Amino acid sequence: VRQRAAEWARRRQGPDRLPLTLGRRRLYILPTRAGIGFAVSVVTMLVAGLNYTNSVALLLAFVLAGFALVAMHQCHRNVLGLSLLGAAAAPVFAGSTGSLRLTLENASRLGRYRVEVAVAGEGAVALDLPADGHGQLDLPLRAGRRGLQRIDRLRLSSTHPFGLFRVWTWIHAPVTVVVYPRPAGSLPLPADSGARSGTTPRDTTGADEWLGLRPFRDGDSPRQVAWKAYAREAPLLVKEYSSAGSTLRMLSLEQTRQPDIESRLAQLARWIVDADARGDLYGLELPGERIAAHRGPDHRHRCLAALALHGSR
Amino acid sequence: MSAARLVPPTPRSPLSWVCATGAAAMLLDATQVAAWVTIVALGLVGWRLAAAFGAVRLPGGIVRIALGLALVAAVFAQFHTLNGLAPGTAMLMLMVAIKLLETRSRRDQYVVIGGVLFLLLAACLGGQELMRVPLYAMEALLCCSALAVVAYAPDADTKAFPAPAGLRTRAVIVLAGRTLLYALPLSVLLFLFFPRLPGHFWAVQSGDDALTGLGDTLTPGSITQLTASYDIAFRVRFDGGPPAPDERYWRGPVMHVFDGSTWKAGGYSPGGTQRLDCLSPPYRYRIFLEPTSRHWWLALDTVMGSPSANVRYTGDYQLIAAQPVDRPLSYSAVSCADARSLAPLSPGARLADTRLAPGRNPRTFALASRLRARAGSDAAFVQAVLAFLHTGGFSYSLTPPPLGSQPVDALLFQTRTGFCGHYASAFVDMMRAAGVPARVVTGYLGGQVNPYDGTFIVRQSDAHAWAEVWLEGRGWTRVDPTAVVAPGRLYSGILDLLPGSVSAPERLVHAWPWLGAALERWEAVNGWWNDSVVGFNYSAQLDLLGALGFRSPELRDAGWAFAAALLAWLAWVSWQFGKEPGRPRPDRLGRAYQRLCRKLARIGLPRAPDQGPLAYAQTIVRLRPDLAPRVRPLLESYAELRFGPPVNRDLRAFERAVAHLSVRRRAPSLTRRALSSRET
Repeated sequence: VRQRAAEWARRRQGPDRLPLTLGRRRLYILPTRAGIGFAVSVVTMLVAGLNYTNSVALLLAFVLAGFALVAMHQCHRNVLGLSLLGAAAAPVFAGSTGSLRLTLENASRLGRYRVEVAVAGEGAVALDLPADGHGQLDLPLRAGRRGLQRIDRLRLSSTHPFGLFRVWTWIHAPVTVVVYPRPAGSLPLPADSGARSGTTPRDTTGADEWLGLRPFRDGDSPRQVAWKAYAREAPLLVKEYSSAGSTLRMLSLEQTRQPDIESRLAQLARWIVDADARGDLYGLELPGERIAAHRGPDHRHRCLAALALHGSR
Repeated sequence: MSAARLVPPTPRSPLSWVCATGAAAMLLDATQVAAWVTIVALGLVGWRLAAAFGAVRLPGGIVRIALGLALVAAVFAQFHTLNGLAPGTAMLMLMVAIKLLETRSRRDQYVVIGGVLFLLLAACLGGQELMRVPLYAMEALLCCSALAVVAYAPDADTKAFPAPAGLRTRAVIVLAGRTLLYALPLSVLLFLFFPRLPGHFWAVQSGDDALTGLGDTLTPGSITQLTASYDIAFRVRFDGGPPAPDERYWRGPVMHVFDGSTWKAGGYSPGGTQRLDCLSPPYRYRIFLEPTSRHWWLALDTVMGSPSANVRYTGDYQLIAAQPVDRPLSYSAVSCADARSLAPLSPGARLADTRLAPGRNPRTFALASRLRARAGSDAAFVQAVLAFLHTGGFSYSLTPPPLGSQPVDALLFQTRTGFCGHYASAFVDMMRAAGVPARVVTGYLGGQVNPYDGTFIVRQSDAHAWAEVWLEGRGWTRVDPTAVVAPGRLYSGILDLLPGSVSAPERLVHAWPWLGAALERWEAVNGWWNDSVVGFNYSAQLDLLGALGFRSPELRDAGWAFAAALLAWLAWVSWQFGKEPGRPRPDRLGRAYQRLCRKLARIGLPRAPDQGPLAYAQTIVRLRPDLAPRVRPLLESYAELRFGPPVNRDLRAFERAVAHLSVRRRAPSLTRRALSSRET
């Protein structure tokens, strides 16, 4: 039934685009188990009050019934008008747990409390949003097989304020995560291929060689930032060097000796991770794709993503 | 041990709230159960709280089960049943307390709150006094607040992000209180229009314990201290004015059987009701009777008929209901102060009402025989006995000495001190000794008008006993021997007559008129509550529907009215809460910026939601270089005003510049090119 309801909601709502504001038409609300228990209590009070012609018990039953109905509206309002501004997930290795970062906006005078978001089938993460404020939360994301993992459905829900009702919505946002192959394999890194590209001749002095400037990215060391350039009101730039003695490796499927393609890709992933950690220059050759030797986080992502998507295009 | 380590520790705040609601509900129910039940239950709550704060350890499963079984056995030993309100309440209280001991998860806490709601229900069933209603309301508020706290606390499988600071107590109570206030109109509507039942689903079990008021026996000799209670026995609303003070006799149990010291009601029922002839204008009134746990319905002497189908109108003019009066009720009746039945007394009735225990009170018997022989008729005999009581040096006291085994002899010839029961008993004994049919009638004498709501209030301290004798040609005739002994009793309550014999609080009320006035005011409010709220039943609902213009008030109309009321409230609440939560109004700078953005959006250059002012300026420079010199400084000055150091903030200049800015769409061809360049 749950599956059917989800399918029905998907057909009904259609695909979503971010930023997304939660309107009335996509919010669903049902009593929780506590709410059903509460209803049973109220009905018992009603019957007892009627039977014993006890006006105070009847009043109590009616007050609590009204309370539950008002609570339903309050619960609905707790998520009505919330906006999901963005959903982005960093690439993750297969089999490990990454995170999906969501940015929620509450552009109203009311604070929102205990807004829970969950990827289908995973644990929920709850968030409080102050009035007219933003909030971010990281959903744990278990990566399956390598490739492009689509996040099929997000479930945003809340039982605030009294836990008697749960209001929820399904968000079918186009969020994809690149899942790298899980690094595995014990083959040593292939030896220096020796084929130097023209841009990186070996410097005999042993000093680091100037490669150029590139825009600043998260994770760059402050020591590499071109502060002088920044002082001249240029954007943040990072000086890139090729360290002396660095080797250049071209990695390819042919160098792996595993029997199946997945293990080979895993071996390549292992090499890339290792080479990146050593600061080597490396390139990747796959059937139909060639990535020139380079280094740095962007390059690492390019190579690993190529592995991830290998065979799917 | 290992199990305890696996379960994550319960956050304290929700648990404290749940414990507080539980303890409060137990205190509310304390009047209904034995003291040990409340004490044990509160002790268990204290144990759980102490465990939450790390002072003691929680009991294991076996201890809990043993404890539960022991407590069930104890309750059963006390009540010999688990059925009924009092044993049920005791059981529920103990079960909630034991459940609290094993409360760890959120689900357990919800279960405890549910149990607490049932405790609250039990309290409501136990007492509907206006005084307790604020307590019930506070307990309901507490329960709802606890729900909010439990719901806010993170569940075991939900990570909170960021870590919850917990709701502040004030915020929780305000939240729950507001919600309950919104629910109030609905509850009033439902209360008025929810279809009531004319009867019960199932038979209501009644307690056997008498509360206060009249009993079905009267043993004057054994009572040495009669404490006059200031509690209200019943209230009356007369259609006209109240009767004169000497006609304010309210008839209750009639005693026929006398064993020499104790009078008993019942045991004899005169066959059939005798028709009464009313010789004075009848009184029409409505009585609001407080619960007594007894079967008698009080009425002004002499009531002309039964006010309800469930109430038997007996041959000695009592009203005896099939069900005991265990909740406030009201009924209309007609009474006649001077009523007479000329039908002859049946031989059985004559026999029953002249029977005396042989050998008891011999001196009285001799005196009565002597007086009867001297008097020419029964009526003259009555006068002779009254004269004897008047002149014999008798006095009225609520603290008479005990009378021993021949109580009437002792009263008449030794102590000569007593209250109404003594004199009524002695009088009837003398009548029967002379062969005149006579009986003791108990009830109330007197009453006062409450100036705040005009009702006539009769208190327990107005309890009285008098005599009725059968006189040929006049039928049953009321004779009040107490009025002869203490004429003041007729016109004033016991408080005025014997101020020393009443308890301290009543003396206080009597000594300070303002306190009495405040009490009267409170009783007026209380009376309204009992009549209009507690007494709002099936027939009162039909009256209301009739007054609202439903032509044939039936249950169906109540259903329609109820549905209409429900819809009206739902519409109101939906309107109240269904509105999109309002956006905050931006400040002046923000408004000017919005205006600028709107102007640019109108010419096809909308700001993307994720764009800041400087990025927006870059977009505009790229798409419409011609606008750049005018728009870019504006956007930059906005960024400066918003995010820059707070010096030289010329907000007015910015506003003026935005107001003066006029931008136009470019020629179509150019726009298209701009758009296509944007695509790439």
